Amino acid sequence: MNELFKGFAKAHAEQNGYLLAATLSPVSPADHPQRLRSVWKSSNAHSIKGDIKHWIKSNASRSLDHEEIKGWVEVYAAYWNAVGDIIAGEDGKSTWTKVYESWKELTSVLIRGYNNFGFEAWTIPCLYMVGKYLRLFAIKSDTERSRNLGDNSAGASLMQDDFDPETEKQGQLRDCEQHLKRIFTLCLNDRAPLEESRKWGIYFIINLLFKTYFKLNSASLSRTILKTLSAYKGDMPPLSAFPKSQRVTFKFYEGVLFFLEENYVEAEKHLTEAWELCHKDAKPNLERILTYLIPCRLLTSHVLPTKALLEPFPRLQKLFLPLAQCIRKGDLRAFDLALQEGEDEFVKRRIYLTLERGRDIALRNLLRKVFVAGGFDELKEGETTPVRRTRVPVAEFRAAICMGSGGELIDTDEVECLLANMIYKDLMKGYIARERGIVVLSKKGAFPGTGV
Amino acid sequence: MSSWSSAQHPPGVAPQAAYAYQHTTPAFIPVQVRQSFGSYVAPPPPPYNPYASSSPQSQPATPTTSTSQAAPVDQSKGTKTEWPESVRRYVQRSFHPENDDPSVSRAELEAKLKDTIGSAKENNSLYTIDWDKMPLPQALVRADREAQLKLHHRAAPITQPIYTDDSFNPRKRKSNDFPNDSSAPPWHSTNAGRSLEDRISYSPEKRAALDDPKSSKFQKEANKRKRRFENEYKAANVASLSLNPPPPSGPIVGTSEVLEKKYLRLTAPPVPSNVRPERVLRQTLELLKKKWKKEGNYSYICDQFKSMRQDLTVQRIKNDFTVSVYEIHARIALEKGDIGEYNQCQTQLRSLYAMGLKGNPIEFKAYRILYFIHTANRTGLNDTLADLTAAEKEERPIKHALDVRSALALGNYHKFFQLYLDTPNMGAYLMDMFVARERLAALCNICKGYKPDVKLRFITEELGFESDADAAQFIIDYQGQHLLEDRTEYIAFLTGKANGLFENSRAAAFQKVDIKGQI
Repeated sequence: MNELFKGFAKAHAEQNGYLLAATLSPVSPADHPQRLRSVWKSSNAHSIKGDIKHWIKSNASRSLDHEEIKGWVEVYAAYWNAVGDIIAGEDGKSTWTKVYESWKELTSVLIRGYNNFGFEAWTIPCLYMVGKYLRLFAIKSDTERSRNLGDNSAGASLMQDDFDPETEKQGQLRDCEQHLKRIFTLCLNDRAPLEESRKWGIYFIINLLFKTYFKLNSASLSRTILKTLSAYKGDMPPLSAFPKSQRVTFKFYEGVLFFLEENYVEAEKHLTEAWELCHKDAKPNLERILTYLIPCRLLTSHVLPTKALLEPFPRLQKLFLPLAQCIRKGDLRAFDLALQEGEDEFVKRRIYLTLERGRDIALRNLLRKVFVAGGFDELKEGETTPVRRTRVPVAEFRAAICMGSGGELIDTDEVECLLANMIYKDLMKGYIARERGIVVLSKKGAFPGTGV
Repeated sequence: MSSWSSAQHPPGVAPQAAYAYQHTTPAFIPVQVRQSFGSYVAPPPPPYNPYASSSPQSQPATPTTSTSQAAPVDQSKGTKTEWPESVRRYVQRSFHPENDDPSVSRAELEAKLKDTIGSAKENNSLYTIDWDKMPLPQALVRADREAQLKLHHRAAPITQPIYTDDSFNPRKRKSNDFPNDSSAPPWHSTNAGRSLEDRISYSPEKRAALDDPKSSKFQKEANKRKRRFENEYKAANVASLSLNPPPPSGPIVGTSEVLEKKYLRLTAPPVPSNVRPERVLRQTLELLKKKWKKEGNYSYICDQFKSMRQDLTVQRIKNDFTVSVYEIHARIALEKGDIGEYNQCQTQLRSLYAMGLKGNPIEFKAYRILYFIHTANRTGLNDTLADLTAAEKEERPIKHALDVRSALALGNYHKFFQLYLDTPNMGAYLMDMFVARERLAALCNICKGYKPDVKLRFITEELGFESDADAAQFIIDYQGQHLLEDRTEYIAFLTGKANGLFENSRAAAFQKVDIKGQI
């Protein structure tokens, strides 16, 4: 334990928040795998606070304020307690739920340290450390409880009209969200001048909250956080002043949020930003970004991913290449099959409903082929450049659609419906003359953005 | 332009009612819509056994030895418990001739004693209770009786103390009092002409409400409230008396024998005497099914179902019976368009099915998809897709719902309206909720895609209207009367002149999806 307080003293001497946070890690560092155990053994419940006080004072090179010492003693005592539960858990004598509870206590004590004992802003990485593991322990506790279901009869749920399946499954994570939000407020509401403000912790905590909301399947709650944030925009340092890693994560989640709200234009903007900020070696993160950026671009600008782009990501290749090929070829049937093939994966990533709309592009490409195959009208007097045949019988489109659907017979009314859709979505310019059974296409740009 | 005057609907008054409801049965013509209860298969009648409830009190008291150790020794089958001295003293005191009460039989006394000590042991409060001040079992039994009597003297014809084992009077209401019609699925007898209800004894307050139209509604409500509070108050008192150590934290076991119960949101932990055990709830369900068929009084039925759900929840009953309660309530709510209540039931059903309980998961998963289409809930849809197995996707109701979803996603209104006319089970009630907005969307499409006009008949067929008149009315309702032209052989719909007329209505229709609209 004394070693921890050497780190503590060094961190205080250098005002190095990350070094300080490392002393509150619930995981032994790689170069000292027994650290947690030795911390636990170095004291006992009776004398822990006195010991900590002694260690802090004997190691400190710079004299700490009396109040501050009091606060840190509380923090490390709570930490010592939690370590006890973690070690007991490793020995099979405790549960993740207990670990979560004691870690939660540590979180509360730490927050109190900022509110009551004047912890300085440079120490906020401690909040990151504690918040990060609070979330992980909550998730572990939830899985543990769902494994031995039935022992979680919370008194409150007995007063409800119906069971709440979500509380039963993710109760701890929901609880955890409350505490992360306390940290969020703690950072947000700091009125100290910017250079020594806890506001610098805001994006780390927001990212933790985003992760939590996505895991809780209520991504939309992230919006409230963003709203609060924009209300404080004036006093907040600009996002660009924050560490890159925090910016990437933030932009990614912001983009996915827009994506889920079907605002693909905004989504593309944020995801592109994330893509550009992301470290080139952070493959898993790049992959995550592309998972949403590719469907986005398919819908906004009808752009398909190239092989070169997907080269480093075998999983994405498997996910997107078959679809991309079908869209390019205008093969409706193969598109449906490919979509079905990947359905489970797509649904898991929440991109199924978006990719499905790629069928419109496949259909557009098919219809365009019909148009191109129709060739040119004979030159009329005074015309010098040949004009494509713009009056196309519905029957020709129908034949193509039937072929594209693998020989399935599609009746004329449905074909017309699909054509009307193309026109409505501005993928095709022209109109259907139903009485005459023909489609009259625009002479200029019948298929916008495709060169014909 | 002749017969299509706008007289029926003054222009400017936007008829916002869901269009489909304005006609007799537009949605159901080709569909066999069940009037109620879908394919609910009645559960087998519960085995009749007045002692079947698992509550420890209802086990017949074993007339064991008369030594003062009787109760504790019995309790500790298997695990030997060390009984504290104070408990021993309490037991001795209970059997002391001086405390004898002629109205409390030996068996009752023993049962109560066993119960008190047993629950203390379960709560680990053996050592925390001040046994020297604990009321004697005789007193507890008397208090119980009094409370029971007061509680039920108006409501139900039963209320014999449960503990008189020899004189136990079986409930007047037995499952076989009701003709056993569970062999025939309920929808086979929708036109209930039977006089089953004649045999059902309404509770006096219900009868008063029915019989006395003169007493003001306010007065009735006030009386009801008063009674309710009285009951609750007593119940709460009884609870604090008989469960002197704070109530066990586990699920309670109800002891109420009343079939009908008004729904009331819980504001305190439930009291067993106000909660009906499953055995009684099963009878309640049968009763409600009959009442619904006969009277069709939705607000009454909904209220009763809610109280049933509450009773199930507080007792933590999650079994096939629970499923059937939620399924039936969901179907009734659907039929009545009570989308909020329906949604509550569906949420429960989802997790009940996930537990592997029996019911009609196929039917309800299909509804769930249609519901999320209605509420435009992409997250919900995505999650539902994730839940489906490959085999389920091939089941007709689910396949239908999935096809509806993909038709809409791709703007294929042609296919959508074909599917609409062929909806299995009660899905049409859900589809009715969004068919008007989809018609608007399709109209927008058609107006932009076709020039110069189409026959009205084409609209009728493509958009699944029942007749040209209905189609024309729909167009007129959205201020499109000038687009209809009578051309002697047929009526034309001038799509070329629409100029995005329906766009605003369409946007408005997609904007407001009232999810919480409870009746």
